[in-house]
Amino acid sequence: MNATEESRHHCAVVDIAESKLDPSAALEFVSDPGFGGIAMFVGRVRDLNHGRVVTGVSYDMFDALALNGFADIAARCDAEFGPKLKLYIAHAKGRLGIGDLAVVVAAGTPHRDEAFRACRQVIEAVKHTSPVWKQEHYEDGDSVWSEGCSLCGHEPEVARDAHAGHGH
Amino acid sequence: MKVEVKLFGAFRDHQPDARVALELAEGATVADLRRALEAHVAAHWPAFNPKLLAYSAFASDRAVLRETDPIPADGQMAVLPPVSGG
Repeated sequence: MNATEESRHHCAVVDIAESKLDPSAALEFVSDPGFGGIAMFVGRVRDLNHGRVVTGVSYDMFDALALNGFADIAARCDAEFGPKLKLYIAHAKGRLGIGDLAVVVAAGTPHRDEAFRACRQVIEAVKHTSPVWKQEHYEDGDSVWSEGCSLCGHEPEVARDAHAGHGH
Repeated sequence: MKVEVKLFGAFRDHQPDARVALELAEGATVADLRRALEAHVAAHWPAFNPKLLAYSAFASDRAVLRETDPIPADGQMAVLPPVSGG
């Protein structure tokens, strides 16, 4: 395969007001005559979190930094599993309802093992490092920003508990 | 130098236009910006929990920056609370 890294990676932020995530497009993008394995992760909005009934979520995102981050994540994955690798990374932004797609990651490789591992590596990196913030909306009208992963390099005392309550 | 800080996530609740303008000395670092933003929020956002800023990172449009990194010459920065994508 002679394709450049850029042509083998698709990274996107999708504003839910304009479009929606498309798993079939992800499968098509990571397909290749030389690839026998495709692994895909689809993240959807669920109706319950920490015992509270969720009616929807809003994703806020720093688009420019997120897209740079997706490209970096793909490049690191490529260094480990490429060059026979295609990756698709797309994350939704805006207000989503229950069951709506929040994130789609797909990896195509010659064999299944690298496909599963590449897909897992990418979704974990996206969840833990991408500048994306989720606000949950509850049936009682309340809304709460989710606790998350701190990106702080300086590790203040309080940051030791930065993962507390964050459901990975 | 003039520094404009974009706000995301829980920070938006305190500033609907999602940006704060600060004046810092030339050659200021991310640590200087953190101290200036701490002072700004203490003065202007009575309901803000200062722990959120302690957990937060700072970034340019290109990358998350370290505390010792200089603020980019264009003064465009963002404060990133803990992330919760996916």
